[in-house]
This record gives sequence, C-alpha cells and structure tokens, in this order.
Amino acid sequence: MLKAYKKKHKAESSQFILLDNNGYVMESDDVLFAINTEIQIQQFHPFFSGFTAFVESKKDKLSLKCLHLDFSKKNGIVDVEFIKNKTHVLLILQDFTDHYNEYQLVAQARNESVIKSELIVLKNKELEAREAFKNEFIQNFSHELRNPLTNIISITNALGVTNLPEHQQKMVDYLKESNSNLKLMLEDILGISMIASGKMALKISSFNLRELAAMLAFTYKNKGKEKGLKFVLDYDEKLPEYVEGDKLRILQILTNLLENAIKYTLNGTVTLKIALNQKRANQASIRFAVTDTGIGIAEENKAIIFDSFYRLNRAHGDNGVGLGLSIVKSLLHLMKSEIKLDSKLNDYTTFYFDLSLKYQLFTLEKGYLEKKASQNKLSLEPTKKYKILIVEDDEMIQMALFQTLAKTGNFLLELISDGALVIQELIANTYDMVIIDVKLPNTTGDTITKMIRELPMPEIKKIPILGLTGNAYEDQLAAYKKAGMNAILTKPYEVEELLKVVFKLCKHVKK
Amino acid sequence: MQESKKIVILGHFGVGKTSLIRRFVENSFSDKYKVTIGVHISKKVVTIKANQTISLILWDIEGTDDINAIREGYLLGTHGVFFVFDVSRPSTFQNIAEDLDLTSKKTNKTPTLIIGNKMDLANKKDVEQLLAENKIPYDFLMSAKTGDNVDEAFLKIAELVNTNA
Repeated sequence: MLKAYKKKHKAESSQFILLDNNGYVMESDDVLFAINTEIQIQQFHPFFSGFTAFVESKKDKLSLKCLHLDFSKKNGIVDVEFIKNKTHVLLILQDFTDHYNEYQLVAQARNESVIKSELIVLKNKELEAREAFKNEFIQNFSHELRNPLTNIISITNALGVTNLPEHQQKMVDYLKESNSNLKLMLEDILGISMIASGKMALKISSFNLRELAAMLAFTYKNKGKEKGLKFVLDYDEKLPEYVEGDKLRILQILTNLLENAIKYTLNGTVTLKIALNQKRANQASIRFAVTDTGIGIAEENKAIIFDSFYRLNRAHGDNGVGLGLSIVKSLLHLMKSEIKLDSKLNDYTTFYFDLSLKYQLFTLEKGYLEKKASQNKLSLEPTKKYKILIVEDDEMIQMALFQTLAKTGNFLLELISDGALVIQELIANTYDMVIIDVKLPNTTGDTITKMIRELPMPEIKKIPILGLTGNAYEDQLAAYKKAGMNAILTKPYEVEELLKVVFKLCKHVKK
Repeated sequence: MQESKKIVILGHFGVGKTSLIRRFVENSFSDKYKVTIGVHISKKVVTIKANQTISLILWDIEGTDDINAIREGYLLGTHGVFFVFDVSRPSTFQNIAEDLDLTSKKTNKTPTLIIGNKMDLANKKDVEQLLAENKIPYDFLMSAKTGDNVDEAFLKIAELVNTNA
C-alpha cells in the first residue's frame, strides 16, 4: 500500500518525457504541462536550447536544480534531469515549487537584512568622514589663524609699552582685550574639534586645588564687582589639598561656567562651590557647582544649551560664539563626567559636575610644591649673556622675538630666515641656543633639529633647541620632541611663556 | 536555425542582475527587490550587424558572494559571462579579482564583461575614481533603472560570443 501511495504522490509532481535525439517529443505524461508533440523541445522554452549540445556531448546524465519554467497555468520551479539512451533521451521534471517558494522567503529576508546592515555601515562611514572633514577643516583653519594672531598680540603688547597718550593707551587696552577674547574663542573651537576627533588627551598632574579656587575667586570677585555682583567661594575644608587632574582643563571648565554666570546675572550673587562628596582609597569625588541668581533657563531650553554655537539670549551684548557650554560638556566627557543643570527661569541657575580625582594619601611637606615651583621659576643673572640663533622666516614674528628677548638684556641675537644655512652658521659661530620655526620655506624645523642632533661635534649636537609652531596636534608635538627639540611653543604664545622657556633652556647652559 | 548563445549573469545578491535582464528583454524596471533563487532563463534576439542576428539565452543565476557555491550544472556550456556588481555597495566588488579568476576557471575562460550597475545611485566621477583607486576593472557602468548602457553591454557580449564561436 505504501508503495502505491508513494507512486501516486510522486506521480502528481513529476513529469516524464521521452525525446528523440533531435528533441522531438515521443511521449509525455503531461502532469505538469501539456507539450505539443509537433515541435522540438528546444522551441518549448529557452532553457532547452542547450539540448542538442547535451545530446552531442559525452555526458550520459545531466541534472539541474531549481529551474523556473512557465507551466501552462502558472510558473513552476522544478528540478530537471536528462538521462541519455542510444535512441532517445528521458527528461524528468520534478515540481518543487512550494518548497522553493518557502526557501525564497527565507533568502529574501536574509538578503534584505544583509544589504540593509551594509548600507547602514556605509552611511555611518560617510557621516564619520564628513565629521572628520569638518573637524580637520576647523583645526587647519584655526592653526592658520594662529600666526597672524601671534603677530597681532605681539605687536599690541609692543605698542602697549611705548609712550602713548592716554586715549591711545585705552585703545591698545581694548585691542588687548579683543585679542585675548579672540584667542580664547580660537582655543575653544580648536578644543571642541580636537575632542570630537579624539585628538585631545588630558594632561594629568598634581596641583593645589585650593590655589585654583583662590585664583578663580580673585578673578571673579573683580569681574563681579564691575557689574555690581557679589561673588562667593564656598570651599569645603575637608577637600584634599593636592589632587591629580588636568588643571588647565578643569580651569577652562570652571572659567566657562563662571563667565556665563557673570554674563547672565544682572544683580545678585555668583557662587562657586567646591565640595567633597566622598573619599575612597586614594580617590576623592569632588562636586564643582557654579550658581547664579540670573535669568535662569526655561525647561524647554535645558537640553539644547549644550550644543555648539547655540546661545539662548543674544540680548546681553555678549561676545563669543556660544561654544562655552559645548566645550564644558566635551571636556567633562573626556574626564568621564557630565555637566548637570538645575535652574528656574528668572530665579537661579546651577551648573554642577562631579570629578573623581586621585589624591596623595600622605601629606606633602607644607609648601613643598611651591618650593619646587619656585626652583623652576626662572630668571637669569644679569651679567651672563647668551647667544641665540633665531631661525624664522616671518618678519612679524622675527620682530616680536627680537623685541621680547632683547629687552631682557640677557641675549645676543642672530637671525637667519633660510633653514639651509642653520648648520653652517652653527659650525661657524658659537651659540648657546637655537629658536627655530617648524614651518620654514623648503624645509622644516624638525628636519634641521634631527640633522643637528646627528652632528659629530658634541658642543653643537647638544645645543638646546626651542621649536615654534602653529600646530597644536599632540602627535605632531610628540614628533617634534622625538626629532630632538628640547621644548616647543605653540603659537600664539604669551611673552611670559616665551621668556620662561628660554630662561629655562639657557639655565642648563654652562657659562 | 538561429544561432543561440548561453550568457550567464553572475554577481553578488542584490546587485541587480534580474533587473538588468528585465530592462534588456522587457524594457521594464521595478524598484522592488525580489531575491532570485535557482535560475531564470530568458531569451532575446540581438542584431549584431545587418542580416546577422543572434539569440542570447540569458541565465539569471541566483546571487551569491561565493562563486564556488553556484550550483553544479548552471555554468555548463556557457558562451559568455556578465559579471555584475553594485557601484553603491563596495562589498559586491572588493573581491572581484578573486571572483573573476574563479569564474574564468569554472567557465573555461569564456568571454566576460564586467558590469557596474546602479549608476543612478551614484556620481559617475566618484565611482570612476573609487574604482580606479581600488583597481577594480570594469567594461560598462550602467543603470537598469534608467536603461543607461544596458543595450550597449548586451550587444557587446553578443559580438564577443559571436566572434568567439
């Protein structure tokens, strides 16, 4: 009985056709489709156009799976088998339409999902590339601005120390303030794009937290006073004296928050609160909070104020491009923290964040770090003269360097603008130090530094080299150091910074 | 009897093989993606030159990213190959050298045209640059959607298999 069932079921889905060697149908059971015996199978469907080739080939058998054929009333999917005999060919078609259609659904879902995820990855890559391009552009642009800005700052400073009538001196003061604002903005824009492209690294060192707070209090007490505001520093005495963190970046965060607080408060108080949450092992969790009694922030604006270039209130005649809170957010993200906000419109605003900072479990001898710092504070004995070779092609910067260094009375200065002449100049004359711009025509300061470090003369080989660059990328700075530069100053730099580093390098020169 | 030539259309899934054939044979196009399983076979007569026609038997073979996985028997007796990739999806052409090498081995070095499809989704200059940078060979860049270069490519393969015959 089973055999009969099997025969019946198989018979319902299989068609057997006998063909002569020319492709004419000798016999067909027409289960799947009716076939006209008058025509050759080659004309029945394009698939069979290879029939003659098969007959002429040495193959006795050929099978093909999953072939789409048009049956009389519907499309069908069949497995096909040709079996060759001397006088005829047996063609077996087995209908697996349902089976293959189910398989098609699975394949459809699979392929669609693969293509979809591929396209998502591509889209993300494109967005990342666009973001990287934007950051790169901003960074390059900011770097390009550094040179002219250095010139403006230097010349303004130089102008400031000349004998000017009072009204002109005032103009110079305004100019200085604008320069300083411009420099801060440039740093902020650069900072944001560097964080976004993962190029900013934190510089962790031990610093005196109380001093940082005192310095901010001093600055903002005065700024507050100018607007008739009260400034309060609420400092928790339980805080460790020294903590480890990126002091400059923490200062940048607090400065941004305090600047905003002063800007948006018309009367009342601005408070900087620094409090200890808890100490665990050698980690201290510290809360920093800046509160003002200013205009407050409406509920609907709380989420958007941290976006770049967004400012809520443009009516306060403020300068800036609205980057302050965005850089605060980015910097805190880098420090694995986040900025939080508590505010009531027309009442108060508190921005706060927690930082987990390492601190020394043992107490340092009081004044130890100050002593160490004062040892590093440099000035040179007035009787000693140091000969410095300046390699710089930008005339403005040449002038600024000359003015700054000559004024100290400690230096004899020589200047060349052609990098190719440095080595021969160092061999021909004795110098105590080289100040070299990284970007020189036809060559670079780091290439020359490398050449100097490879010279056979020990006294020249070891000469202190200070590099000047508009490039603030961490990896580039590291490369300059690796080339042999003892110190690098990024433009725009302050006069004090330049003197400090030149003094420091000269101090190691034996006289 | 008119001469018939078997052309197999190969390439990864979703590159538009079925759409190319549909554009060429029926002059129609659908944006909806339907996965081909197994093989669909269709025919179109192409005029190569005056008084000479050739019947192209087009084997639309299910897409796969592994040429080795193509079912035994589909490539038997092939006269020409269309290797199709999608210009908007690099995964469909990044291993093309290997794919072509395998195809050539499996089809006994039959004439092959390399086709970049879906040009309607991309900028021609960008595509040309991308392909040049990655040293991706191609014979035709086309779009089944707009019909650009479709007839030209099929005519070319017809000429190739004819001279080869």
